[in-house]
Amino acid sequence: MGDSVACVARRGPASEVDFALIGHQESWRAAADVLAVLRGPERTPLPDDEIKDLLPWIPPRAVCHLNVGSIVGAKARGLYIDSFIPPDRLEAAYVHENIARVRGAAACAINTGAKIVSLGGFSSILIEGNFDQLPERHDTAFTTGNTLTVAFIVQGIKKLCALEGRNLQRSTLLIVGATGDVGSGCAHCLAPMVKRVLLSARNVERLRRLAAELQAQGVQVEIATSLQRFSAEADLVICAASLASPSLLLGQIAPGALVCDAGYPKNLSPRAELLGATVFFGGLGQITGGLRFAPDFHGILNRHPFPDVVHGCLLEGMALALEGRFEPFSQGRGSITRERVEEMEAIAARHGICLAPLYNADGPVEDGPHGQTEKQPMQETAGQKWIRE
Amino acid sequence: MEPLIDVKASPMECTSLSTSAPIWQDILAQAMTGELLAAMNYASLSEICDDPAEVADALEHAQGERGHAAAFAAEGIKIGVDVPSNVDAKHWKRLRDAFLRCIAERDFIGCLIVQEIMLESFAVASYSRVGKVAPGSLGKTFARIAAEEEDHVDHAMSILRAERALAAQRFDDKVYRLHLEVMTTLAQMLAKECKDGHCEVCHASCVKPRLFDVSLSAAELRGASLRQYLRTLDMLGIPGEVTLSWVTQLPV
Repeated sequence: MGDSVACVARRGPASEVDFALIGHQESWRAAADVLAVLRGPERTPLPDDEIKDLLPWIPPRAVCHLNVGSIVGAKARGLYIDSFIPPDRLEAAYVHENIARVRGAAACAINTGAKIVSLGGFSSILIEGNFDQLPERHDTAFTTGNTLTVAFIVQGIKKLCALEGRNLQRSTLLIVGATGDVGSGCAHCLAPMVKRVLLSARNVERLRRLAAELQAQGVQVEIATSLQRFSAEADLVICAASLASPSLLLGQIAPGALVCDAGYPKNLSPRAELLGATVFFGGLGQITGGLRFAPDFHGILNRHPFPDVVHGCLLEGMALALEGRFEPFSQGRGSITRERVEEMEAIAARHGICLAPLYNADGPVEDGPHGQTEKQPMQETAGQKWIRE
Repeated sequence: MEPLIDVKASPMECTSLSTSAPIWQDILAQAMTGELLAAMNYASLSEICDDPAEVADALEHAQGERGHAAAFAAEGIKIGVDVPSNVDAKHWKRLRDAFLRCIAERDFIGCLIVQEIMLESFAVASYSRVGKVAPGSLGKTFARIAAEEEDHVDHAMSILRAERALAAQRFDDKVYRLHLEVMTTLAQMLAKECKDGHCEVCHASCVKPRLFDVSLSAAELRGASLRQYLRTLDMLGIPGEVTLSWVTQLPV
């Protein structure tokens, strides 16, 4: 048995698991890297065709253990569970198959005794409107993690607007995928701060309901099921659709717009030509109290150019575990309010989970120092010491 | 000595599957060889059992596996082909040798792990897939035998779970040791291409490239077998992250 596997096999009983994160890989490259770690450095990596043949047959299961620390000394143990949705099946045509996989992953999480489970990426999109499809759960709470995702999207937009000297109050905000949980949460948080809001989604009834809620707060709103219906005036854009659409925004936004791609998989192509727009990947946070994987999946399961950066949806589960609040904080669709976002921000911040440095496919989009240099506290915390040991 | 199998089919029942018959012939040959090997394994197992009930159980299983082999042979006759078997073919012989090492050590649990967890996972999954696409009684026979093999696994599972409950780490180490030996051989058998020469069971060239002609593929049979194996290990309670590493480390 390889050392890393033996190490995992000899871990403590399952009841020591505080949280579980359910995710999947968004590209075949990412999936190949995960399998390469599991296969070990002494074996040649699997050829691409073998990976594509094998991965769809892998049942949902734990891939690695995680230890996360807080800047105030709290600590939590968790598991990363992959649903092994093949990256080329992240489409509506496979929705039933994918829900079955997420259900399988949820059953794994329940079996481990995890007290709270975060649903990452496509998993939360699949389940946010279908919580009743999760397996029967007794002492395990499920959260989509969407509240913290919304918090980091909003924080990222505010930060970049401030850095670029943009005036939010004069902006026209376009939200693509506006009726999803993340999209509508962003609308509730940002709409009162901007001049005008354009909402785009496939379901016109849901669009009308959301627009009515915002209009009741005095927000100027326009809705459309197709972006072509809007004039190209949006200078602030959030892409929170559930599917990738590389040419989504071509010609549909103002030149020089600020675009937050908050999708997983990414909504936009890295090569999207958006007329001088500033694009950044939104919804990402950074853990400053320490994060350790066993086996070591650093940079493999969190593929970001900065250390200890993780998607907000997964961080929500970790934050709640560190806080000892094992409750379904984010559930259902359309229930994310500004108050709930502020509450989650406070929980996360208390444990040193903050907005990640902003970046896109070309690298950082912020000037000045990035990453842990500016994020880490001056002295090692008890949580960090525990992680290091 | 009683014959290994008793074939109950007459040429009168033959139907022609024309061009696909040679493919089904090779699929049946692999299945029949596996069943005969399983019958030999259970017969060997009966020799190390102390409890008369366990002896009877093992002999009953051996008889059942011979019945499965006979059923496959009979299906061959129905489609007009002779179904050969070769328990001394290189991969199958290695699997038999691995089982016999457990017998030599009088390791009843090891025997169950090899036969019920590893070999039966392969049989249940591949027979089920074949059962879905094979025509007529051929498909029904594969599906029926897959269901019967699954019952065997259920029977063994309670014994193995109880054994693991006594000392989980020791049990998992034993499974891993046997996995390296047995599943490596099975993975080589299940590879998309036979890279180390003829398997000594197919009647002519390797059947794998022609499986597409009967709506099967080597990749599908391997994937289904490994998934069944992982699920069986899950039911034993071995951590999923551990068994995932085991499987990803197998040769392709």
